[in-house]
Amino acid sequence: MRWKRFFSTASENMKQRRLRTSLTTLGVIIGISAIIALASLGEGFRTTVKARMEQGFELDVLTVIPGTLFAGMRPQRFTEIEVKNVSQVANVSIATSVMQIGNVTLYKGDKEVSVFVAAAVNFTEFQEVFPDRFRFEEGGVPEHVENDTLILGHKVNYPNEAEPAFAHVNDNVTVTVKIPTTQYPYVKLENYNFTVAGILQKTGTPGLTNFDYWAFIPLDTARKIYETNSSDLIFVRVPNPELSESVAEDIEDLFPPYQITVLVPLSFIQQVDSILNMVEIFLTSIASIALLVAGIGIMNIMTVSVMERTREIGILKAIGAKNRTILTMFLAETILIGLAGSLIGVLTGYGLAHAMSYVLSGFFKPRQDSAFHTPETPGMSITPVFSLPWAAGAVIFGTVVCILFGLYPARKAAKLDPVEALRYE
Amino acid sequence: MTALLEARGIKKTYRMGRVLVPALRGVTLEVAEGEFVAIFGPSGSGKSSLLHVLGGLDKPDEGEVFMDRISFSTLNANELAEVRLRKIGFVFQFFNLLPRLTALRNVELPLALADVSEKESIEKAKEVLRLVGLEDRMNHRPSELSGGEQQRVAIARALINDPKIVLADEPTGNLDTATGWEIVQLMKRLNEEKRQTFVVVTHDPNIAENADRILNLKDGLIEGVKKGGVRL
Repeated sequence: MRWKRFFSTASENMKQRRLRTSLTTLGVIIGISAIIALASLGEGFRTTVKARMEQGFELDVLTVIPGTLFAGMRPQRFTEIEVKNVSQVANVSIATSVMQIGNVTLYKGDKEVSVFVAAAVNFTEFQEVFPDRFRFEEGGVPEHVENDTLILGHKVNYPNEAEPAFAHVNDNVTVTVKIPTTQYPYVKLENYNFTVAGILQKTGTPGLTNFDYWAFIPLDTARKIYETNSSDLIFVRVPNPELSESVAEDIEDLFPPYQITVLVPLSFIQQVDSILNMVEIFLTSIASIALLVAGIGIMNIMTVSVMERTREIGILKAIGAKNRTILTMFLAETILIGLAGSLIGVLTGYGLAHAMSYVLSGFFKPRQDSAFHTPETPGMSITPVFSLPWAAGAVIFGTVVCILFGLYPARKAAKLDPVEALRYE
Repeated sequence: MTALLEARGIKKTYRMGRVLVPALRGVTLEVAEGEFVAIFGPSGSGKSSLLHVLGGLDKPDEGEVFMDRISFSTLNANELAEVRLRKIGFVFQFFNLLPRLTALRNVELPLALADVSEKESIEKAKEVLRLVGLEDRMNHRPSELSGGEQQRVAIARALINDPKIVLADEPTGNLDTATGWEIVQLMKRLNEEKRQTFVVVTHDPNIAENADRILNLKDGLIEGVKKGGVRL
């Protein structure tokens, strides 16, 4: 029998059993839509998280910190020579060192504000490393950096958006610094006067290099105050993120093993990405259980159908139908159910995904301030991702599952003894 | 004359639960081309079993069946199906039409199985339906046809592949006498006009009377051969 005849006969048979066919197909539709909905939502979630993280990190800036997670802190900080060596590694555009001063308090008149991170940097180099983040709302990096130059992060200057600014350019600010001593209480407070040279723009996007809560003073000034030439971390700019892994390795080679850690944002993002990928696969495989149940439904209904049509099978065999012909006749029906169910399932799956993303978007409203979550952060919305290979894959998968489950009843039909089948009432 | 169909020492035993029922106990017969042979016997004499074995639907426990000198025992299930498709036409007591298909589609079915194109097979089916006198009923489903009409459809289906032999199992058994008579006449006419070979198992003396030869089957054995002879 020709293929066209098989399918026209099959669809004719299925039309005669409309309710049964639609219920069987419904099983496939549910299975495939569950897979498509979870897969496209998962992919959408991954894309959103990835984009959010890429905003939060400067992909072409590596951070070198002393010590490693496992071997503990490196006893000494980075020396000037070490910083110079790092800046001379191949493919490093520029390296700049940062001295972290920790908690400081700023006073202006009767106003005071605490700064989470006070850092001493070379302003010019720092601006070169972070051209997108070290941007000014007011003032800027002065041409001649004085010892008392101070640059404020946006949130430092506007701790509360509703209140007026803490300071403006050229205002004088007193900075209270904690300096370690060798005698009890091992710390002394000292006041220094600074002049505000610039106020940074709001970074807005969350991330590790969000300078909104930072205040900057010149590196040279800090060195005089603390009487040291060492620094706490080195920011390294590479020409493009692809080079970051190799540059990180070269930097690690400059130091004895386990002495330093190079933070590579790209590999961090890639790891998170691969974790999300696994979650996506996991969700999709759970959804596949629904398709499995649909497959068993097909097997069930086809077995019943074979029993009901035993006599018909006997007749067909008597007039010369081969086993293969009977097998194909029944398989043609499962193929049609599989194809129709999968195609409809793909469409309803994407519909479901959009509906779910609409409902879910309500749960991702920003709630509290954190380095990754500022009130300015827009609510996370997940757009389901439509992918043609996924859709095609789902249709093929659905059809193959139907064929596999239809195979047993179809073989049973094909192997019926013609005389027995003809006698069947 | 060489035998078209030949059976030698056919034995067949059925198992009914724990009891073994011997249906055929060594049947030997020959059918020549163009013959109209009746196998006559009461119910339970093994007529249907014999017909199934002759048509390659069932395998005998012992003995061999030859068609065109080829033994069925040398053929596998697929090849036997091919023989049934190309060389044998079956007509059953209960018509055995597919209820969902129209008369035309039922008749056309063997050609569809034989990979003949739809256009060609529909043409041929119409022609055969005309031959059995059903040209104006061909778009009806079996449930819309009378018993006699259904049996005509079944005969048309048996004829469509131009089989060497038509095997009929009680073709009038489910019909009233008058209609049964019409069916017998139809088969007889096809036998005479087209030299179509028929083997009919029946317990209807009417059919038997019309056959060229009558084989009396009793308790699984052929007990006598009579010349038929009532020419219509």
